[in-house]
Amino acid sequence: MLSVSLTKRLPDFTLDVTWDAADVVTGLFGPSGSGKTLTLDCLAGLARPDAGRIVLRDRVLFDAARGIDVPSRDRRLGYVFQGYALFPHLTASDNVAYGLRGRPRDERRRRVADVIGRLGLSGLEQRYPAQLSGGERQRVALGRALAPEPTLLLLDEPFSALDLPRRRALRDDLARVLRDWGTAAVVVTHDFTEAYRLADRIVVYEAGRVVQAAPRAELLWQPASEAVARIMGIPNVLHGTVVKATPDRIQLRWRDQILEAVNSPTRSYLPPPETPIAFFIRPEYVRLIRKDRGPADPGHHMNLMTGVVVADEDFGTTWLLRIRLDAPGPPAQGDHDLQVEVPHLVHEILEIERDRRWEFSIHRGSIHVLPA
Amino acid sequence: MDLFPLRLSLEVSLAATALTLGLGVPVAWALGRRAFPGHDLLAALVVTPLVLPPTVLGYYLLVLVGARGPVGRVLDAIGIEVAFTWKGAVLAACVGSIPLLIRAAQAGFEAVDPRLEAAARTLGRSEWSVFWSVTLPLAWRAVLAGAVLAFCRAFGDFGITLMVAGSIPGKTQTLPLAIYDHVQANQMPEANTLALLAAGLVVVLLLGLGRVVRLRY
Repeated sequence: MLSVSLTKRLPDFTLDVTWDAADVVTGLFGPSGSGKTLTLDCLAGLARPDAGRIVLRDRVLFDAARGIDVPSRDRRLGYVFQGYALFPHLTASDNVAYGLRGRPRDERRRRVADVIGRLGLSGLEQRYPAQLSGGERQRVALGRALAPEPTLLLLDEPFSALDLPRRRALRDDLARVLRDWGTAAVVVTHDFTEAYRLADRIVVYEAGRVVQAAPRAELLWQPASEAVARIMGIPNVLHGTVVKATPDRIQLRWRDQILEAVNSPTRSYLPPPETPIAFFIRPEYVRLIRKDRGPADPGHHMNLMTGVVVADEDFGTTWLLRIRLDAPGPPAQGDHDLQVEVPHLVHEILEIERDRRWEFSIHRGSIHVLPA
Repeated sequence: MDLFPLRLSLEVSLAATALTLGLGVPVAWALGRRAFPGHDLLAALVVTPLVLPPTVLGYYLLVLVGARGPVGRVLDAIGIEVAFTWKGAVLAACVGSIPLLIRAAQAGFEAVDPRLEAAARTLGRSEWSVFWSVTLPLAWRAVLAGAVLAFCRAFGDFGITLMVAGSIPGKTQTLPLAIYDHVQANQMPEANTLALLAAGLVVVLLLGLGRVVRLRY
């Protein structure tokens, strides 16, 4: 229902993107400066693309070739700006009512009351933005954007103005509001967890281009390339060589070990032997073999290797271990080969603090190859 | 004693301030918010009244609006006489004070976050509506400060008014001109009274401005 194709050249940056979105929440995800906000501004008519076409539900908002450029005020999009951009001289309820001018007084009053109630802002109607907390401001901004019943909601880094503990709570809040309202939305964020939590489909941006667009689960498990994996902040992105590839398995050599991985069922990838290949191992899927249960059984545990914990970091509920394998040669990532995440309880029970040498296994389904 | 000069000065500077606001605010907005060819030239032009000698400015104005001047002839044709009338004094005061208003208001408009205006546009408002509901309400302190400064400057104008409106007692003799005349005629008590009134008024206005501008939401 939303189809976007844009080119915009700035003095030191070029945005050139094409993507589509259905009637759901779409996440634009990528590092800062990759053109996400500029895309929103183009959608909202606040920036003018040099070329391209924007169509929202059969309504052409912009078409460079046909000279169509619907002004911002007629696009009927709700825009929640980064930092919210609430009108500081208007109360919460006047902010919400701002986009309803021209409608009958009764309808305006009803609509404002409805929005205020649904967003849990009752009692704060007469407060000015400076007198509201970060979370309340976010809800006023949402209410202001939603009150005129926009066809599409645009959200730019909706949590950047909040501190970390509030973020998590508000992320759930926002996810619920988006679901309740059923409004299609485009959410810009540079935080993958946020994108994953809010969006059904994620478009990954890098340096003004789209590097992958996929449903969120597919993106999480099958980043299309090493670049995407790095933008997502996936640890343990590693390089090996192919030993043998079949439609459902890939064997690869890495740090003197032979690892067996599952080939992607949707995008079978058959590189010839000796091809360099990138892959990643999720740190929470590396298993430590318990020493009190006898030697590891290679028939049961696959991809066995041994190594030493060279550093561990306490993240509160989890520990992140940096492992150096026994294999000869320089480690794959600085001072270590693998990052492994274990729950706090496991760290305690296994006495990892004291006992540094471990055997590990990685299920083949947890090694993901990244097509070149 | 004759307080006509005080009354005339108040009327002239009020009228001049109104004119200054009407002309200056749109210019200040354009300078602060829009990019257009000749932007920098206009910005330089609006401050020239601050740096030109008042008599030079007054002379050019007189040439322009005098009976044989290009603007004067047009005005004459529709029955408006400017030179050597109170209207001339208003024009003189306006030209002398408009840079103060434009400078202050422009800074005020520039300080308004453009994202707020963008938000207003996405909420369906026209440029005109955005100005009245967002830009001006957020910049009014700066506009008011500029208007008060402009009023004080208009109230105190001497050179430009003398050139354009003359110093006709009971007709175009404003307070500063009257003080000068009293001093010339060695009527020191009269000069003293008028000078105190003028100084007092300006000080009171500026104090009041300070209070208003400090108001916050």
